[in-house]
Amino acid sequence: MSKFFVQNSSSESESESEDEIAEVQKPTRPMYTYESDEDQKGSRVVLSERDKRIEEINNLVRQLKNAKKIRDIVKSNQTFDELVKVYDKCRKVVEKDGHFKHFIRAIADLETFVNELWDSSWKASASKSNSTALTKLRQRIRKYNKDYEKEISDYKAHSDNYPEEEKISKTDSEESESEEEVQPKKELKTKTKVEKSESESESGEEDSESEISWDETEESTSDEELVYDKADAYKLFLKDTTSTKTKKDEKKRPKEKKVVVTVDTDRESEKPKFERKLFAKEEEITPINVFNKLNEIVSARGRKGTDRHDQLEMLKELREISRAHNFGSAMDFKIVFNQMAISFDYNTRISACMKSEVFQECLNMLDQMINIVLENPDIEVSENVSDEEENVHDNTKPYKIRGCVLTITDRMHEEFTKILQQCDAHGTEYVERLKDEPKLNALIDKLQNYLEMRGNSQEICRVYLRKVENIYYKYDKNNEKNSAELIDRLCKYIYTNDSTDRLRAKAMLCHVYHNALHDRWFEARDLLLMSHLQESIDNSDILLQILYNRTMVQVGLCAFRVGCIKDAHSALLDIQVGNRAKELLAQGVMMQRNIEKSKEQEIKERQRLIPFHMHINLELIECVYLVSAMLIEIPFMSSREFETKKRLISKQFHYQMKLSERQPVVGPPENMREHVVAASRVMKKGDWKACTDYLINDKMNAKVWDLMPQSDRVKQLLIEKVKEESLRTYLFRFSGVYESISIESLAKMFDLPRNFVYSVISKMIINEELMASLDEPTQTIVMHRTEPTKLQTLALQLSEKISNLMDQTERMVQIRGGEMGAFLNRNQQGQQNQQAQQSKQQGYKQTRNQRNQQQK
Amino acid sequence: MSQRQHNSASTSSQTSAPAAQLASLNENVPTPVSAANQIAKSRIDYVQVDALVLLKIIKHTQESGGGAELAQGILTGMVQIQDGNSKRIEVTNCFGLPTANNLKGGTADYNEQCNIFITDNLKTFRHLNIDHLIIGWYQSSLFGNFVNKNFIEDHFMYQSDIEDSIVIIYDPFKTQHGSVYFKAFRLTPNMMEMQNRKDFSPETIKDLKLNHENFMEELPVVIRNSHLVNSLLCELEDLNPTPKHQSFFDLATGSVLEKNLRSLIDNVDELTVDTAKFLNYHKQLQKQNHLKQQHLQKREAENSARRARGDPLLPEEDINKIFKPLPPISRLETLLISNQIQNYCQQITDFTSQSFSNLFITEAVQNK
Repeated sequence: MSKFFVQNSSSESESESEDEIAEVQKPTRPMYTYESDEDQKGSRVVLSERDKRIEEINNLVRQLKNAKKIRDIVKSNQTFDELVKVYDKCRKVVEKDGHFKHFIRAIADLETFVNELWDSSWKASASKSNSTALTKLRQRIRKYNKDYEKEISDYKAHSDNYPEEEKISKTDSEESESEEEVQPKKELKTKTKVEKSESESESGEEDSESEISWDETEESTSDEELVYDKADAYKLFLKDTTSTKTKKDEKKRPKEKKVVVTVDTDRESEKPKFERKLFAKEEEITPINVFNKLNEIVSARGRKGTDRHDQLEMLKELREISRAHNFGSAMDFKIVFNQMAISFDYNTRISACMKSEVFQECLNMLDQMINIVLENPDIEVSENVSDEEENVHDNTKPYKIRGCVLTITDRMHEEFTKILQQCDAHGTEYVERLKDEPKLNALIDKLQNYLEMRGNSQEICRVYLRKVENIYYKYDKNNEKNSAELIDRLCKYIYTNDSTDRLRAKAMLCHVYHNALHDRWFEARDLLLMSHLQESIDNSDILLQILYNRTMVQVGLCAFRVGCIKDAHSALLDIQVGNRAKELLAQGVMMQRNIEKSKEQEIKERQRLIPFHMHINLELIECVYLVSAMLIEIPFMSSREFETKKRLISKQFHYQMKLSERQPVVGPPENMREHVVAASRVMKKGDWKACTDYLINDKMNAKVWDLMPQSDRVKQLLIEKVKEESLRTYLFRFSGVYESISIESLAKMFDLPRNFVYSVISKMIINEELMASLDEPTQTIVMHRTEPTKLQTLALQLSEKISNLMDQTERMVQIRGGEMGAFLNRNQQGQQNQQAQQSKQQGYKQTRNQRNQQQK
Repeated sequence: MSQRQHNSASTSSQTSAPAAQLASLNENVPTPVSAANQIAKSRIDYVQVDALVLLKIIKHTQESGGGAELAQGILTGMVQIQDGNSKRIEVTNCFGLPTANNLKGGTADYNEQCNIFITDNLKTFRHLNIDHLIIGWYQSSLFGNFVNKNFIEDHFMYQSDIEDSIVIIYDPFKTQHGSVYFKAFRLTPNMMEMQNRKDFSPETIKDLKLNHENFMEELPVVIRNSHLVNSLLCELEDLNPTPKHQSFFDLATGSVLEKNLRSLIDNVDELTVDTAKFLNYHKQLQKQNHLKQQHLQKREAENSARRARGDPLLPEEDINKIFKPLPPISRLETLLISNQIQNYCQQITDFTSQSFSNLFITEAVQNK
């Protein structure tokens, strides 16, 4: 007991400062604490950090001494280990107070002891384990003591100054008895403080959800105590009776039946009773009182025994009281703020979401909060307000409240996402929940108004981004201009004013997405290219990567809609490769056969899932990808039919083709993929009509095309593309059959305007894909027939291979020291042969030409 | 491939019994002592195949997917010695081996099942008074792509168990296109020797004077029809007069030549790779030899110095320890690929010459 009561004014300040240290030490840890076991047992000894450490060291020193006495080196080695560890832990304290003298003494003694043993003959007689331990210990202590050389020499000089064991707060224990009665309040305060600092340190071990916003509120509460530590609060406490204190204390832990022993006797006698009444009848209700009460309730938050429901009830009541007494909106705000924080706290598990009623309530509260700050410009709410500055009840000064409405709103949004994730996306419940979204959006709008007036640029950026994130995925049918302008304005603000790259990247992606969604292809593409996100996206966090994937998909779809097939293909390629689109877009958790996922990973993935109403249809993506692959691949395949080495542009497309080829009987297409494959098969023959019939029919319309806005335009475009590519395929494949074709007939065949056919053919001729020339007056294409036949190509390839082989053989002969001349000669002969062949070929051509002429 | 190995394993284990029979059959022939004698003995002049065997093989191949799947089977018959020296193999009957898929027992005990199957068949043959001596095996092959390592190993097992065994290759594709492709092969004694040594290093090949042409010998195949068959054929001819429209002049240049060329390209590629490997090996060998030489010279110089000083000489045996001899490169593949290439070339030549003659004929006809 005596160790606890820190009554001496000097030591009090000391312990306080130590508490501060403890708080500083773990500032970011949230305070969901559990009372330690020791607590439940009843008597509780609370030590300051320093005292605790000193005690620990004392124990160890004692052990060490014993071990030394019996010359158990193994034991002393271990003890030394622990000692070093413990001393490491109290480095903070040491930095402030200087080294612990008894520790220095202990290590110095140990060293001399070890050295003595080392030199003595004991070593020879010692057991093996002992002697090895000694060697080890000697080395280690020598090394370790090097750091403390100065202190050790000082100790050796004035060994009297170094006690063997440090007494803990000696002065306190002497004086505490007398002053105990006088300052019960102070002791209590210190106690709670120490408890808190301890619990804070304990909380580190306990797993609990960590949310940034909580830390902030937590910090604020813990700091608030420092506020009431100041003079005025002190007076108030003097006025208070001790009994109210007791009640408060009990209320703090309503579940905990045992009364803390450290309080004086009359408290112990009082039976713990659950009290709903917040204030005693005789108690005067003042703003300060209410504020303290609030702090008290909040400080219990997160402890093991705390009933969150009770807390919420209490806060509600408190709020009513504060309203009834008209304590001003600042107080109201403060209470609501905490109320919200506790509601977020309500679920212990991360995956669980709020109940919808609670969520509604929270929405209301948030609304009220924002209203308060909007209506009362004299209230300053900011994260940067320090606790000392915080002011909620003094109307002479401007109100200042620590906290951040924006963070709460963000948190609210997260909660909303979570609720949607938990819902069945196809049920009516989802729709019901989704109805909350406009409310939330309205709140964000309000908040935006407020922040535009009061907030700094970073906060404005955040709220803008929040707003953009709520808009970017929605297709605006009616007033496209409006949303585009809005997003443009918001994003541009973020681009110029954001100081973190993350917000900018997010805003940029949303902007691109929105542009792509509304078919502004060039804007979307340019912005995406300007962002240079492609290079850095691999290193960014997963949420951003998901957004990037979504954006890329949307850009790909946009490219398809505006007819840039190649761009569409390349944009979608990365997503479609490996059949992981679902996972990459965070639209579902995939079970892969080969890869075992741990539970945690799966939970994490589930948390990342995007709510259903933001999904991009996967079948649409795949269909667009396959169709673009078809439009690129089929002409390409036909143009390189003869080459033995096959180059694949799209693996997935080939996979689908192969799959259908393997089937013994190909039935009429059923699903989207089969339709595309069937279309490709007829396109290979250049049959554009059948191809479009396969691609565009009722089934495909329902499955894919109708999902796009302006589907008619897209379909029309698609038909044009199919015609063009079919024409190309046809020319690649069957040009060998023709001597000449009239453009007229081609135009008729493919139902294309004549000049379009003309341009396509010209392009092919320029790109040297088609060996032909255009005959202007007759409007025909004259084939040149320089293309070797299949057999000729093969023969050419074979000759190439053989010359390769010959090279190899020649080298071999050289190595063997054979006659190089023979091969050289042969080479020359070969060349001559080639020449002869060439001339033969020419001759062949000539004769052909002659024959042609004759025919004509 | 694995299936074929199964087959060979099973048959080789099986063939111990027929080998004994073979020995008893050849009892009246004085057992040859020298290897040279043996070579002379094992020389076979031609293979006589009964029409029955031919039809059975064709049927088997047709049933197993028209050559898409490998059809294999056992040939039975006898060895005939004529006029003291010339020797012929008579193939009088055969039976196909089941594939792993259509065996009841599954693939696990395929070998055993196959063994039982073969012994059962041979027993039945004996009961029916059919020749029950195994004298080789047959295999279907498309486009003559049969020369590979497995084939050689399989046949080596047959030939080492039964000295006179042959392998018959049947090509369903060629047969469909008008010319029966039916060839009998044996490994030459030199090749047997190499297989026996299991050493395919360039030196061995040089020693045995092997090249791609002489590791396998083709035997002339004579198809013999019994009188009954002949009379049946005559009757059939009467019943089924030859169709009016003959497809003699069908050139069909494209697909056949293309396929051959494609296979050729593949093989040439392989050969190039092989040659590159061999080249590399040679380079390494040369380098090592060079180093060895240097080392030896150094040692020599040192030793002479030591001799001058009267010190003990350094040993010279450790040369192989310092320079570990390179593992000899196998040249078997090269041999096989070369042979395969030769095969293809031969086929192309055959085909084109045929086509050319067709061309000339048509030209002559057209001019009239």
